[in-house]
Amino acid sequence: MELILKNVSASYGNNKVLDDINLTIGEGETVFIGGRNGSGKTTLLRVMSGLMAHEGSVTVDGEDVLKMKRRNVARLIALMPQTGETYFQYTVYQTVLLGRYARSKGVFGNFNEEDREAAKEAMKTCGVYEYRDRLLNELSGGQLQRVLLARTFAQGTPFLFLDEPGSNLDIKYRAELCDYLCKWAENKTSTPFGDVKNTVVAVFHDLAQARSVCSRTVFLKDGKVFADGPSSEVITPGCLESVYDFDVAGYIDRQVIIR
Amino acid sequence: MEDTGTPDIRKDKRTVKTAGVGITLSLAVCLFILLFAIREGSVYISIPDLLKIIGSHITGKPLPAEVDPMSDSIFWTIRTPRAITAFLVGGCLSVSGAVMQAVLQNPLASSYTLGVSSGASLGAALVLLCGITVSGLSGFMLPAAGFVFGLATVAVAILLASRIDRNVSNQTIVLIGMILSLFVTGIMNFMMTFYGDKSKQLWLWMTGSFSARNWTHCAILTVIGAIGFISLMLLSGRLDILTFGELQASSMGVEVKKTKILAILISSLLTGVSVAFAGVIGFIDLAAPHVVRRIFGPSHKIVIPMSFVYGGAFMALCDLAARTVLSPREIPVGAVTALVGAPFFAYVFFTQGRRNA
Repeated sequence: MELILKNVSASYGNNKVLDDINLTIGEGETVFIGGRNGSGKTTLLRVMSGLMAHEGSVTVDGEDVLKMKRRNVARLIALMPQTGETYFQYTVYQTVLLGRYARSKGVFGNFNEEDREAAKEAMKTCGVYEYRDRLLNELSGGQLQRVLLARTFAQGTPFLFLDEPGSNLDIKYRAELCDYLCKWAENKTSTPFGDVKNTVVAVFHDLAQARSVCSRTVFLKDGKVFADGPSSEVITPGCLESVYDFDVAGYIDRQVIIR
Repeated sequence: MEDTGTPDIRKDKRTVKTAGVGITLSLAVCLFILLFAIREGSVYISIPDLLKIIGSHITGKPLPAEVDPMSDSIFWTIRTPRAITAFLVGGCLSVSGAVMQAVLQNPLASSYTLGVSSGASLGAALVLLCGITVSGLSGFMLPAAGFVFGLATVAVAILLASRIDRNVSNQTIVLIGMILSLFVTGIMNFMMTFYGDKSKQLWLWMTGSFSARNWTHCAILTVIGAIGFISLMLLSGRLDILTFGELQASSMGVEVKKTKILAILISSLLTGVSVAFAGVIGFIDLAAPHVVRRIFGPSHKIVIPMSFVYGGAFMALCDLAARTVLSPREIPVGAVTALVGAPFFAYVFFTQGRRNA
């Protein structure tokens, strides 16, 4: 099962954010999407999950994501947003359980034992199980991010799109998240459309995190694909200089590393 | 609020149990309130006699000899349908408010925001001023016009919103609803300047009353209320997800635009029928759902039915106050809901801290 973007462009009003993108994400790949702020990373993830109108086509398994039923898309692709708050105070457990909606079978959207188990499993993975009865507004930024991560995992999809999943996490959780993603990406997920190898597409700002999880790197610049290839070949000082427009070598020298 | 643990009430299994106790208790209290609202008034009746009257009508048996037939007509043909109408209207308005707040992700939203009440008032004004009548609808001309115009205003608001904004985002809906609402009120006020003599009659209709409501009103309200209630319950899972915003809801598998428009139309139907039979009564649709969320949490499977019960009971009490406090004069029930409700709401909202907002 492949995700294919053909000549994809997208804009907010008159501001063109993605400009003629062509990409193929193969089953089982781990892809890091990098680039400066405003280079179109988040928009790319939204377009790839069929959440935003666009020119060109995005297809999963040959079907256009904009024409598929949302429930079917949500059984294949889960997107973890950068933020997620609601005025209404759901508990952590209720929030994570909502991730099971696309897979639930009841008429009233009731969740069964399997859904509850999946939600509990996801909460344990993300280290939020002990706060399961807390309200969302009682959580810190990092805790909330782990709840959203758990909800995304609970969705049980083979394609996992993560928008800066580590941005609010402390170093322990960051490392654990990377380990988990690496392990997860080696497995398969069974879907109503057959077994599919797990695939990660993630935006990171921490390059070390990106390298540890993703074997392929795509750099965006001004809404276009600037570089695309194996992470070891693309994440180089030269390439970083041109993607981020600043003295990367000098930056690396300033990094504090405790040995 | 650090890792100090959570109050027991929200623990996994006990939540279900406490919710069960809460629901049973609430139902019992609301039944009591309904009986109380029927019993109280200028004519006195004892609770056993009242139960005998209600029992004889439900079972179809003749009235026991010891009960005064006069009380029978007062309680069965006047007070009971009136109290039940008030209860149903309060319930419908609260459910509608709860759903609108979730769909528009706005704790201040209600069908009134989208122009149901101003549309309905314009419809009623047109009927009063132009003296339009349709044969067979004579007694129901005002409610029918109010209902049709109220729903039409919301439909126009949604249509305009979807023309201007392809995603029909919440801000667009609320903004267009408010603009349209003000515009329609403007038309009505403009018309009223030419027919000052009818303004008293219109004012009476607009401020809300349950006087002289009969079993026909109850029946129509029950049917429309049941249809709306069941359809909204079917949407309850999707409503939970929608409170997290359109983007997240969509990524979790909800057809956002379809669900949103459906939920808005059904809740407008509930508000429309309430406004048609009782006039414009504010506040309940805002307050009851918030109180319910305080007690039972935000899950719509519980919020929708409990909003119905709480809103209904509150409305029945307000109507009781409206007809007894200054008896024989009646206070507009819309004034009572706000006068009693606002301080109560403030008390509930601010004394328990912002924790469970």
